Amino acid sequence: MNILVILAVVVVMFGLRFLKPNALAWAAIWWIGVYLVFRYGVDPPMPTSILGMFMFIISLVLVAYVTAANDRIREVADTLIAFFVNPEYKVALGLTLVLLPLLVAFQVYSGMSGQPQAPLLARTIHPPPPGSISYQGKQIDLLTVHNPFRGLEQSDPTVFEAHVAGGRAVYYQNCVYCHGDNMEGDGFFAHGFNPIPANFQDPTTIAMLQESYLFWRIAKGAPGLPSESTPWLSAMPAWETFLSEEEIWEVILFIYDYTEQRPRVSEEVH
Amino acid sequence: MTTISVSAMTKKLVSAMTTLSVSAMILASTSMFVLVETVSAQNVDLGTEAQREAGRQIYELKCAHCHASDGAGDPVMSTLLRPAPRDFTASTFKFRTTASGELPSDEDIKQSIRNGMPYTAMPPWPSLSEKEVTNLMYFIKTFSTDFAGVFGEVVPLEMPDPPGMSDESITRGREVYVENQCADCHGDQGRGDGKSAPTLEDSWNYPIRAADLTKRWAFRGGSSRSDIFRTFTTGLDGSPMPSFDIQPEEDQWNLVDYVYSLSRDNAGYGTVVTAHTVSDPIDLSAGAASFDGIKPVLFPIVGQIIEPGRAFFPGVNAVEVRALVSPSTVSFMLQWNDMSADRAGKTGPSLPAPDREAEPDTSITYADAVAIQFPTDVSAGAEQPYFIFGDRKLSADIWFADLATSSATHYVGSGADRIEVSGPDLAMSATFDAGQWTVIFSRARTEENHAAFKEGTFVPIAFSVWDGFSRERGSRRGLTTWYYLYVDVAEKPSPVLPMMAWGFATLLLGLGTTFLVRRKFGNTESDRG
Repeated sequence: MNILVILAVVVVMFGLRFLKPNALAWAAIWWIGVYLVFRYGVDPPMPTSILGMFMFIISLVLVAYVTAANDRIREVADTLIAFFVNPEYKVALGLTLVLLPLLVAFQVYSGMSGQPQAPLLARTIHPPPPGSISYQGKQIDLLTVHNPFRGLEQSDPTVFEAHVAGGRAVYYQNCVYCHGDNMEGDGFFAHGFNPIPANFQDPTTIAMLQESYLFWRIAKGAPGLPSESTPWLSAMPAWETFLSEEEIWEVILFIYDYTEQRPRVSEEVH
Repeated sequence: MTTISVSAMTKKLVSAMTTLSVSAMILASTSMFVLVETVSAQNVDLGTEAQREAGRQIYELKCAHCHASDGAGDPVMSTLLRPAPRDFTASTFKFRTTASGELPSDEDIKQSIRNGMPYTAMPPWPSLSEKEVTNLMYFIKTFSTDFAGVFGEVVPLEMPDPPGMSDESITRGREVYVENQCADCHGDQGRGDGKSAPTLEDSWNYPIRAADLTKRWAFRGGSSRSDIFRTFTTGLDGSPMPSFDIQPEEDQWNLVDYVYSLSRDNAGYGTVVTAHTVSDPIDLSAGAASFDGIKPVLFPIVGQIIEPGRAFFPGVNAVEVRALVSPSTVSFMLQWNDMSADRAGKTGPSLPAPDREAEPDTSITYADAVAIQFPTDVSAGAEQPYFIFGDRKLSADIWFADLATSSATHYVGSGADRIEVSGPDLAMSATFDAGQWTVIFSRARTEENHAAFKEGTFVPIAFSVWDGFSRERGSRRGLTTWYYLYVDVAEKPSPVLPMMAWGFATLLLGLGTTFLVRRKFGNTESDRG
């Protein structure tokens, strides 16, 4: 979030209440204001394709608003007609008639002679997990499996802390390279990967997932993703090759502990 | 010995003074306490007990897994990270504004925490507040009694503002570079390939690399001209980088300018490399000259840490790529900086490498190698083979160059454990010059061998680099994930006609609208006001 940009836009929007511009100018200012917020107010920047989609929706909304009342339609129509007919706009009209074709021509030219853009590949980020997985020959039912150490948090905090410490060693010897010291997905190998490694500090990642989901993603990695998650661009290893079942559950404890997040609990049906 | 007793004595004195200042705090006002604290500590600021304790808690949470609770560096992490985590008990710090061998200033320690060390495991810590960083600094100072002693009183060197940079200063800087034997470690062209480079160790006998001066963005002490000035005037203590007192003073900045001129501002990693069209197949014997005038694309290389045989600190960190297509061939030139050309020993994409090699058998040596990877079937669309040499469903073509034998082999991989020789249909040439490998691959461009490289298409492409010096082979290597090769079209449609057509159409539309609007509403214009 870029607070300054958002603040500036909000101030201008608020100012519109007092300036009372005509409907056309009002719609144009809103369109520009929303564009500025999406383009410069959001961090990290949103992809151009998403921006285009949002602006299309905003355009529809503004058209709907303007055409919803007869006086607004008339106001807009009058403004436009005056621009074409009124002698006082002669210079502006002439400039528009000359500059607009030039702008279109420039767009076509630069679009055809620019650098090729790599194709964008859509993929599912949190695909649904399979019902069960085979972990080194052992069948694990992901719908019912629980972190065997989670209960210790209440019953025996000392033993629980020991398991968290075990998970800490696992994390820094294996995961830190990509997921980073602060678990923000910015480890010192992260710049070599696309998609970038998951940011566990982001409240929309592990806090929204059950521990069994994490177990699956850690144990099976990118090669274990279902077909809707192709292409397998993720560099997440299948950790069953390196880590014991216990170590995976421990590192899950540590990730939640460090980020001070809670796993989503399964909603029991009684 | 004298040093230790003096600092121990001073420490006692300081703790006595701290007690005094605590009683002073009880008695006197806050402003008076500040006064007493300053005087008693003899300009040595060790923070308060509460600050150090707060620092310890942050340290345990954020730092102890690498630097260890006792500050001496975690023994396991020290085998997994290069450079190894710093041992704070030695009170030797890389980043300082103080003279070589001296303790860092408080601000120096705080800067190291805030900024981290680029391209190492030490990250920047923007998430820590100013207060937290200060507390952490006070706690880190407790690992060595030196901070409480006479050596704790440091005077930062004056860092002048950088003067202007010119071609003359760069030229003179090159002479200073040679005179001061910088090339012994950093190499003649600054690529980190000096003759002493392979022997370098830090103060704890861990191997360490001389900085590649052509990659300013990875400089541990920062990449601005002032940063470079500070790094060589104060040295990187604990590493083999000494401090230099170069006279006259102008020559210090001349050297800075030369080093600065060796690289661009940032890595500027790319995601697409374009294969430019040429009319004739390239002549391999001409070497790099065939690719003259083509802008390279730099791809970051990171360690393969997915399959067993993991490379936690790969020897190579980036590869520069150029590509050409002629009607009958496709050619790639790969260049990367390497400390040494390792031309003796074995290599191969599937040579076994143990996951962790505690006691390597040094009687066996490994050669440098490089590989380009494509999906075997590029028509598979969005579905791509696994970037670690393919998978069971989709295989990957591996163009592998063994730089010991200077020969290329075409493999097909269906997974890291299933790599088979496909054919000798690859030509290559390799040269090593001043710390840089140049490897050129060339291959017939035909439909049958899945190497059509159709015009105007994007083909997934990935790279692997093996550094023999770092005992890389098989799965132990540096790699990239999939990027794209764009095959340029031989005859590009000219944008001029479409540009004019669209421009003219827009003009007509504008004039037409004006005409229609005027005809319909022109008369009533005066009524509307």
